[in-house]
Amino acid sequence: MVEKMYTITSEAGLHARPCTALVSAVTPLKSEVALEYNGKQVNLKSIMGVMSLGVSKGATVKVIATGDDEEQVISKIDEVMIKEELAV
Amino acid sequence: MKITKLLTKDTIRLSIKGQKKLDAIEDLVDVLDSAGILSDRHEFKEAILKREESSTTGIGEGIAIPHAKTTAVKKPAIAFGRSVAGVDYESLDGQPAHLFFMIAAPEGANNTHLEALSRLSSILMNEEARKQLLEAKTEQDILNIIDSYDEEDEAEDESMEGKKNFIIAVTACPTGIAHTYMAADSLKAKAAEMGVDIKVETNGSSGAKNVLTQQEIEEAVAVIVAADTKVEMNRFNGKHVIETAVADGIRKPQALIEKALKQDAPIYKGNESSEKESTEKRSVGAAIYKHLMNGVSNMLPFVVGGGILIAISFMFGINASDPNDPSYNAFAAALNTIGGGNAFGLMIPVLAGFIAMSIADRPGFAPGMVGGLLAATGGAGFLGGLVAGFLAGYLVVGLKKAFMGLPASLEGIKTILIYPLLGIAFTGLIMLYVVNGPVGALNTGISEWLSGLGTGNAVLLGIVLGLMMSFDMGGPINKAAYVFGTGLLANGVYEPMAAIMAAGMVPPLGIAIATTIFRRKFNKQDREAGKVNYIMGLSFITEGAIPFAAADPIRVIPSVMAGSAVAGGLSMLFGISLRAPHGGVFVMPLVDGNWLLYLLAVVIGAVVSALLLGILKKPVQ
Repeated sequence: MVEKMYTITSEAGLHARPCTALVSAVTPLKSEVALEYNGKQVNLKSIMGVMSLGVSKGATVKVIATGDDEEQVISKIDEVMIKEELAV
Repeated sequence: MKITKLLTKDTIRLSIKGQKKLDAIEDLVDVLDSAGILSDRHEFKEAILKREESSTTGIGEGIAIPHAKTTAVKKPAIAFGRSVAGVDYESLDGQPAHLFFMIAAPEGANNTHLEALSRLSSILMNEEARKQLLEAKTEQDILNIIDSYDEEDEAEDESMEGKKNFIIAVTACPTGIAHTYMAADSLKAKAAEMGVDIKVETNGSSGAKNVLTQQEIEEAVAVIVAADTKVEMNRFNGKHVIETAVADGIRKPQALIEKALKQDAPIYKGNESSEKESTEKRSVGAAIYKHLMNGVSNMLPFVVGGGILIAISFMFGINASDPNDPSYNAFAAALNTIGGGNAFGLMIPVLAGFIAMSIADRPGFAPGMVGGLLAATGGAGFLGGLVAGFLAGYLVVGLKKAFMGLPASLEGIKTILIYPLLGIAFTGLIMLYVVNGPVGALNTGISEWLSGLGTGNAVLLGIVLGLMMSFDMGGPINKAAYVFGTGLLANGVYEPMAAIMAAGMVPPLGIAIATTIFRRKFNKQDREAGKVNYIMGLSFITEGAIPFAAADPIRVIPSVMAGSAVAGGLSMLFGISLRAPHGGVFVMPLVDGNWLLYLLAVVIGAVVSALLLGILKKPVQ
């Protein structure tokens, strides 16, 4: 299992487009991926799940990946976070 | 915010026409337009289509959420549409879409947009909710279904919160030595008395202790932030946060805890908008004080370290750092370079940088530092540094407002390019062309006036500073005197600092002596606390006197003010100067002038206070 924390810097938070980008990036991978925020955990492969968290600017979220390609999950997410200017 | 505030009967279409994506969009835009939500139908539709181009909003599970944030929207709203047959919406899962929620947000409504998405998703994640929506017969049914799931969520939150009785608090004060811990103790004691679980994080000068964990923050019903400096707030997103002064933590713990249990406080939301709210809630004066103290508390380590090193270098001989002087000593010169040239050199930039950072968060820091350095090098000194800090801070706040409407794709360059470039440029130009001249003249004027003070006026200044130091013992008036003294160090005027420290040592020492001599006037607990006050006083921690002053202000405060005034006046009379702004008895041998006389000034002040206390206080029954 690997975990990584991100602090959301994008002004609009994790709204629909970035959620879609994150989910589409990890969906093809085999690992189970969860996103944790404010004590709630959701499946990072479900757009609705991610959106339901209502992650706003300044929030700290945790990505938890479990599976054969878990390292790849984190690097994919890093990539999207940077490309979409979501987090540091 | 409830979904049904945005979604009304007028914006529901139970059966949308056509089976193509464009038909569905056209239909939903119509719904919003005829409900009077849009000011420009065409522009809104363009925005929706543009959004679909970047990636489809058909998010799977038969749901699509086309949305746009544009000036063509008059007020936020959601349109609901349904197609039992299904629409080919190019959804991510390739399945047809049946339920449509078109979200219209006006420009600048960040949170509404995000919150609406979050709420909707929470409802739609529920398979039962989706099924019911598909089967609903009337518009009212749709509203009822959405409401029922929306409410359920809230009810669950409430019952969970109702069960718990756990609150968390953060305390912090500018110096981070006494108030922070006293507020923490006071809150903990009162909470124990009231049967409430509490955890208090102390942000003192040695860093944060007893740090709150993510889990504790989640479990707490509310957060009390009793702080006069900046504390890390973003972690409290979504919690009820009571923001107040650190003094309230000491004086009114019960009121704060009761308020916290009732959750009688606004919910904290991170980023700029909340920053605005919180500063609005505090009075303007309190906000400015907080910014100033954030600067001062970060500046202090530079002044303390630098000042003491300079003072040590002078022990080798007053000109020992001058290579052309017979008493030259290389080590003394090194200490002087470290302390005077560099640590003191950073003082004003750091002050200005952290004031600006307190106002405008991180983007304020760089312009503040640069403005502070310009003030320091341009002769505007400490006062110029204060101006630079506030100037840079509010300037960057202004820049943030000015660039709020920038497209999201340019969001990233704001913090890395626009704020630093424009912030530094404007702050710098204003400092050079507007501030440095007059403030520099004022600064020189004050320094010259202070250096040239006749003995009578100097003693008067010492007395006034002494009175200020003891009036509220660590509160704003005390800090005003203290900041004045440290600021003058930067200008090379050292006498007031000596008077201030002498006066600040008096209240705890006076109380300590009184508890020793006039034992009958204090109960056992007070006598114990009195012993600690010897240490507090010798270390120049004026705050040690607060518990005594709080318990009996009418007798204690005049007594300690009188003693402090005497000590401050004597220190000025003896012509003592002090380059270190802290350290109490431990830096006494480093003063310029006769340190025994300096010690004498403190002792006389303390004895005066002790005698007055002995006379004024009534014997304990």
